[in-house]
Amino acid sequence: MSQTIHRSVAWVFRALLPIVTTFRMLIQDRFALWGLSIFGVFIIVAIIAPWIAPYDPFAPMMTETGRLMRLAPPSSDHWLGTTAFGNDVLSQLIMGSRVALRVGLVAALAVGFISTLVGVISGYFGGIIDDILMRMTDVALSIPTLPFAIVAVGLLGPSVDNIILVITLLFWRNGARIIRSVVLTERERVFVKWARAAGASHLHIILKHILPNILRVVFLWVTMSVAFAVLTEASLSFLGLGDPSITSWGQMLNTAFASGALRSAWWWVAPPSLMLIALISSLYLIGRAYEEQTNPRLKDHS
Amino acid sequence: MSIEFETLRGTLEKKPPVRLQVQDLCVTYKSARGPMKAISGVSFDVEPGSNFGLVGESGCGKSTVVKSLMRLLPASATTSGKVLLDGNDVLAMNRQQLSRVRWAQIALITQSAMNSLDPVFTVGDQIVESIRAHADVKHAVAWARAEELFAMVGLPPERLKEFPHQFSGGMRQRAVIAMAFSLNAGLLLADEPTTALDPIMQDQIMSRIRDIQKRLHRSMVLVTHDIAVVSETCERVAIMYAGRIVETGPTHDVLNKAYHPYTMGLQNAFPKVVAKGEKKPPLISISGGVPDLANPPAGCQFAPRCPFATAQCRAEEPMLRTAGNSLVACHHMERATEFRRAALKAETWRVEETLQ
Amino acid sequence: MSGDNTTVIEGRNLKTHFEGRNGLISAMLGGKSETVHALDGVDLHIDKKEIVGIVGESGCGKSTLGMTLARMYEPTSGQILFGQQDITNLHGSKLKSYRGSAQIIFQDPYSSLNPRLTVEQIIREPLNIHRIGNETEKAARVAEVLNRVQMPPETYLHRFPSNLSGGQRQRVAIARALVLRPELIVADEPVSMLDVSIQAGILELLNQLSKELDLAVLYISHDIATVGYICDRVAVMYLGRIVEQGSSDDVMHSPLHPYSDRLMAAVPSIDATASRERVHLSGEVPSPTNIPAGCRFAARCPAATALCHTVEPELYEARPDHKVRCHLYLPEDRDLRPDLERPKAHPFA
Repeated sequence: MSQTIHRSVAWVFRALLPIVTTFRMLIQDRFALWGLSIFGVFIIVAIIAPWIAPYDPFAPMMTETGRLMRLAPPSSDHWLGTTAFGNDVLSQLIMGSRVALRVGLVAALAVGFISTLVGVISGYFGGIIDDILMRMTDVALSIPTLPFAIVAVGLLGPSVDNIILVITLLFWRNGARIIRSVVLTERERVFVKWARAAGASHLHIILKHILPNILRVVFLWVTMSVAFAVLTEASLSFLGLGDPSITSWGQMLNTAFASGALRSAWWWVAPPSLMLIALISSLYLIGRAYEEQTNPRLKDHS
Repeated sequence: MSIEFETLRGTLEKKPPVRLQVQDLCVTYKSARGPMKAISGVSFDVEPGSNFGLVGESGCGKSTVVKSLMRLLPASATTSGKVLLDGNDVLAMNRQQLSRVRWAQIALITQSAMNSLDPVFTVGDQIVESIRAHADVKHAVAWARAEELFAMVGLPPERLKEFPHQFSGGMRQRAVIAMAFSLNAGLLLADEPTTALDPIMQDQIMSRIRDIQKRLHRSMVLVTHDIAVVSETCERVAIMYAGRIVETGPTHDVLNKAYHPYTMGLQNAFPKVVAKGEKKPPLISISGGVPDLANPPAGCQFAPRCPFATAQCRAEEPMLRTAGNSLVACHHMERATEFRRAALKAETWRVEETLQ
Repeated sequence: MSGDNTTVIEGRNLKTHFEGRNGLISAMLGGKSETVHALDGVDLHIDKKEIVGIVGESGCGKSTLGMTLARMYEPTSGQILFGQQDITNLHGSKLKSYRGSAQIIFQDPYSSLNPRLTVEQIIREPLNIHRIGNETEKAARVAEVLNRVQMPPETYLHRFPSNLSGGQRQRVAIARALVLRPELIVADEPVSMLDVSIQAGILELLNQLSKELDLAVLYISHDIATVGYICDRVAVMYLGRIVEQGSSDDVMHSPLHPYSDRLMAAVPSIDATASRERVHLSGEVPSPTNIPAGCRFAARCPAATALCHTVEPELYEARPDHKVRCHLYLPEDRDLRPDLERPKAHPFA
């Protein structure tokens, strides 16, 4: 019995091994370490947001004299000041990180799953299956990103779930092409040929020999997708297509813009912009270091 | 035109052979695990008009030597020592001097040279281009020279008008060999030039290369793992192991009267075709692998795989000493006769396997 | 010989042709795809404990022959008999069970093992695929084959391929092939990417395994010298057909076909004192998409006559157990085409 447990633990460890080694490899790179630290801080903030946000993000702040605190500059009570509607900027900023990460992670995982599925099936089986899937991808690639997103969210209604759906529909296409090209290389490896000669099924070959060896590329693509998704969500919210019942960074910028405070209330505009820049940069830093480690041609030049 | 062509041929044939002297060549690569000494103190001379063989297995540094002679090493490598071409140090040359020397004085053929042809030009144009870059002749004259070169490597001249992708791998390799001969360089560096070719073609090309070298009195450094090819081609040979020369001398002496156990092992591991009825000597295999050059063992680099190694071998690195007509880096070369007899037996080499 | 119960595998008049795949547009415009006659009528059998060598130049079809016998390709025509069973057109689960009995060892030891699996997982995989044995039995079999290839399990079981040398990797590949207890092993250039100093170990191992485990081994190589060391019989291939076959001594030391004669003569000799005649052979191997009439070697053969250019020779039994596909050995009493001149003398004798 204990042996079975031991073995299953070992199996889980081995399945996670590529991720563990990836992580170990990343923390050796100075840029990636920065990226990972920043990203880590975002995750922690997002998780504990309700407890560290000083106020309810939608509660109107009142002065001692009982008047709405509109566009108050940073003070000891409100570190980042207040909005035109008297909301606390810091609280909105902290709660906004939840939306950004939820959209980013869920959409990226969905994108990663669909791109991998299409890429692996297309690349591994080739022939007519490949032809059909790749023509579909070509059609998807010809859709312009932002107009499609605006129209789709406009039709489906502005909610976080719909935004995630639209992002997924938009970004699987590039990933599928990239992953297919990696599968095409892996498929030609001798051990794949051997597995066929040994009588292994297609599923066995894909799970055992193809997937573990392309996981690095999938991981890279998922990382980049988080960044794309966060940016797209911010763009849509800024354009007024965000979910009005929650606060996101894009939405904060949108409200600031709509109330004409974009130029005057720097404490309202700068924080969400900086957060977006920091989050996206951290992901690009991870991606860059990762690509450098994965691609020997880039490594040589360093 | 034919007069011009004869003139070109005349000048090319009159080119003097090159004397190459390599002195204490060291190459160190930067690697993630610290500096890697790919070549440590390699010295050899190639007399004008002679063929010199550089023999060893993968990772012994033989190709690195060739690359450093042409100054083709990546930036992560640091080179020291001297590479003298008729007395001029290649390692100290500037860009201009170097480009005058490459192709015109030293030509290079590598195993994968067939991939170096440009896909958008015809093979003929590329050969003509390489001739005209160094010799001031008309296109037609250079073309005639290209036809002559093609005939030499057994390719029909009309295929000069074709593009590289219309050639098979073997034909492309032959085209590159033809190109290497185009300027009749005084020194030819041939790094496994025929390994990618089929046996019959390999033999034909090797014998053509030998003929030309002999007829025109050229010098050559032939890098290979195939001691039979060296034995048929080179007057002198150096056996390399882990970035060092372990034995060097006249080919006949080195191959028939080896002093270094590695040379003996290599020779006895080499599959031979014996005359009918003759008993095949047993094929030996040297157990273990080449040392990690980033973290080399103390003493003789071959000691971990050597069946005759002693405590001294594992502590002290042997220097090259004279033995017969050769130079040998082995502490126990006085016992070579005894070793040679033992090295013939497969068991001798197998003992180590169980110990490891 | 087919009735002989020690024959493991036999190919009869095997042909494997490949259709060149045309692009969609070219196909719509009615472009014709070319057929590559990679294997074009080969008869071969391998007995238990026997190693048969296939030599020839690249593109002669030697690898295609190996892959066809291992049923990686389905032959275009002909028949493959595995013991008494016809396996020419097997599919599905029957093909899978044949795959367990016929294993392949590939040339490149660096890419034939999945870098993410340990030696133990690599060797266990075939057992998992074929669902053989419980955990204890599997472990026992893995240990057994590792011992067979002289790699102590306690040392190597948990290593990854990146920690092994080329020779050790090839031993693992052999162990993986043995774990299903096959009857046939197709070894496609198993030592050509290894250093000379360790080739012998692998060759000797193959030889020993063949004799101890009753294996039939097809050894494919372009390195003629190694063939002499381990093969009982040798077949020389040229352009998709066997042109000569016999015991390895006969074929290597007294080749009969002009082509095999050149092939053997091209092997360089380590002994420089024995001056070797120069090999000269003009022309190129014809394209396998456009096979010439008559003898396939005729265009390059100095002795070729009208008969050679018209009628393809059969495999004549020139000597006992030594067959050759050349009209030089056409029996005197047989007249294929009396109007056409026969070749007279061996061109390289």
